[in-house]
Amino acid sequence: MSHYLAFLKKEVMEGFRTYKVLIMVLVFAAFGILSPLTAKMTPVLLDALAEEFTISLPEPAAIDSWTQFFKNIAQMGIIVVVIVFGGILATELSRGTLINMLTKGLSRVAVILSKYTYMVLIWTVCLLICFIITFAYTSYLWPNDEVRNLVFSVFCLWLFGVFILSILLFSATLVRGMSGCLLMTGGSIVVMLIISIWPAVEKYNPLSLASFNVQLLMDTYKVTDLFWSIGVAAVLSVIFVTTSIILFRKKQL
Amino acid sequence: MNILEIKSLYKSFGKHDVLTGLDMQVPEHSVYGFVGQNGSGKTTTMKIVLGLLRANQGEVYVCGEKASYGETKTNRHIGFLPDVPEFYNFMRPMEYLSLCREITGLTNKQISKRGEDLLTLVGLADDKRKIGGFSRGMKQRLGIAQALLNNPRLLICDEPTSALDPIGRKEILDILAAVKGRTTVVFSTHVLSDVERICDQVAVLHQGKLALSGTLAEIKASHRQGGYIIEFATIEEATSYAKAALLHLKTINVEQDKGTLIVKASDTRHAGDQLISLFANLQTVPLKFEVMEPTLEGLFTEVVQ
Repeated sequence: MSHYLAFLKKEVMEGFRTYKVLIMVLVFAAFGILSPLTAKMTPVLLDALAEEFTISLPEPAAIDSWTQFFKNIAQMGIIVVVIVFGGILATELSRGTLINMLTKGLSRVAVILSKYTYMVLIWTVCLLICFIITFAYTSYLWPNDEVRNLVFSVFCLWLFGVFILSILLFSATLVRGMSGCLLMTGGSIVVMLIISIWPAVEKYNPLSLASFNVQLLMDTYKVTDLFWSIGVAAVLSVIFVTTSIILFRKKQL
Repeated sequence: MNILEIKSLYKSFGKHDVLTGLDMQVPEHSVYGFVGQNGSGKTTTMKIVLGLLRANQGEVYVCGEKASYGETKTNRHIGFLPDVPEFYNFMRPMEYLSLCREITGLTNKQISKRGEDLLTLVGLADDKRKIGGFSRGMKQRLGIAQALLNNPRLLICDEPTSALDPIGRKEILDILAAVKGRTTVVFSTHVLSDVERICDQVAVLHQGKLALSGTLAEIKASHRQGGYIIEFATIEEATSYAKAALLHLKTINVEQDKGTLIVKASDTRHAGDQLISLFANLQTVPLKFEVMEPTLEGLFTEVVQ
C-alpha cells in the first residue's frame, strides 16, 4: 500500500512536471469550449459561405452541442489519451528508470496499479473539466433546452475510457515499446468496430458505451439496453488489469 | 561468510549460451572485481542475482537467502548501480532519494539525515538542479547514493566507470573505496587498472564460467611464471651475458630485446642464485634485476584466449 501511494505520487508529479497533465487539461478544456461553439456557429458559417442559395438548417439546440461533445471526446479525446499514455510503461522500461525502483524492492503489483490509477485519475479529471465547461456554456446558450440521461451518458463514455485504458495497460505489459502498445490498443478498437456490425453483439459490445450517447439524451436508446455493455466493459477492465499484474510479475526486464 | 553465492548458473538467450555453469562466491567485506570481455555475461549474471532475468538453471544465494526470479526479498540486502543509471529527469536528487526511501520503508528522519550524508559523500549535496540537467558522471554518483540508501550489505555496480572521463572515474573509485568497510562491493568492469586499484578479490568470466578467481595476490602468485628481467646498459653486455647464462644453466630460456633479457626457468630459486653469481664471474653490473610479476592484463589475455 505504501509502495502504491509513493509510486502514484511519483506518477502525478511526473505528469505535472513533464506538462502531460497540462496538455491534456488544455486539450479537453478546448473540446469543452468548442463543442457548444461549433453547434452555435455551424448554421451561421454555412449561411455566410453559401450566400446565393439558402440551406435550411434547423435552429441549433442544446442537443447539437452535446452531439459535438460526445463526438469530440469519443474520437479525438480518446486518441489523445491513448497517445499521451501510450508510453507509460514502455519509456520506463526502455530507459531503465524502473529497474532502479524494482531492485529497491518496489512491488510490481504497485507499479501496475498505481499507473492504472494515475491514468484513470487524469482521464476522469479531464473529462470532468470538459463536461463542466460544455455544460455551463450550453446552459448559457440554450437555457430552455433540456436533455435526458446526461449524467448517465457521460458515465458510459467515462467507463469506455477506463476500459480502453485497461487495454492500453495490458498491451504495455504484453509488448515492448510504445508503438506496439498503441497498435494493440488501436487494433482492439477496430475489433470492437468490426463486431459491432452484428446487431446481436451490439448489446454486449463495450463500444456501444461510446456510440449511443446522443441517442440516450434523446431517449431513443434505453438506459437499460446498455447494462450489458457496462457489465462487459467493467468485467473486462478488471480482467485486463489483473492479467497485466500477472504478466508483469513474470516479465523479464 | 559468503555474502553472495552462485551455484552452477545457466542462462541462454535463444541459442546463444551466455552462462554455462557459473560458480561464484563473494566473501563479506571484500571488493570483488568481476572482469570479463564485453558480452561475456557480467550484466546477465547481475540481473539474475537481482531477479530481473530468469536463469535456465542454477541457484543464487544472497546473505544465505535464496534469490528468486521476479520480486525477490533478497533485494533488500542489495544496492544496485546499473551501467548507465537512469533516473526520473523531472526530479531533484533529494526528491529521488525520498521516493527510494518510501519504497525501502525507511522513516522520514532516518532518510533526511542519511540522504544528506550520501549526497555529501557523492558530492551532490548543493545541487538543486533537476536530474535531467545532470552529466553522466553526476548521474553515476547519484546512482551510488541511491544504491547505498538502504545500507545494503551488498553493493552491485555494473561497469560504474566505463563511460566516464578520468576525473569522473577517479571520483567513483574513491567513493567505492570509501564504502569498502561498510559494505561488500561487487563491481564488474573491463578496465583492469580499476581492479588493481581497489579490488581485493578478482574473478574473470569467460565463456560462461569463471576462468580465474581468488584474491589478487593469490592469482598473481599462482600465475608467477618463474622468471627474471635483467637490464643492461649496452646491448653487447646483454648479449655476452645471455651467452654465458645459456652455457652455465641448461634449463633456462632467454629472450633478448636490445639491452633487456627475459630469463625464464623451471627452478626459479636455483636459477636466480646462478644468475646472480654469474654477474660476479663476468664482472658486469646490471642496471636492473627483477623478478617477473604477472600483470593482470597478461593474465586476462592469457585466460581469455
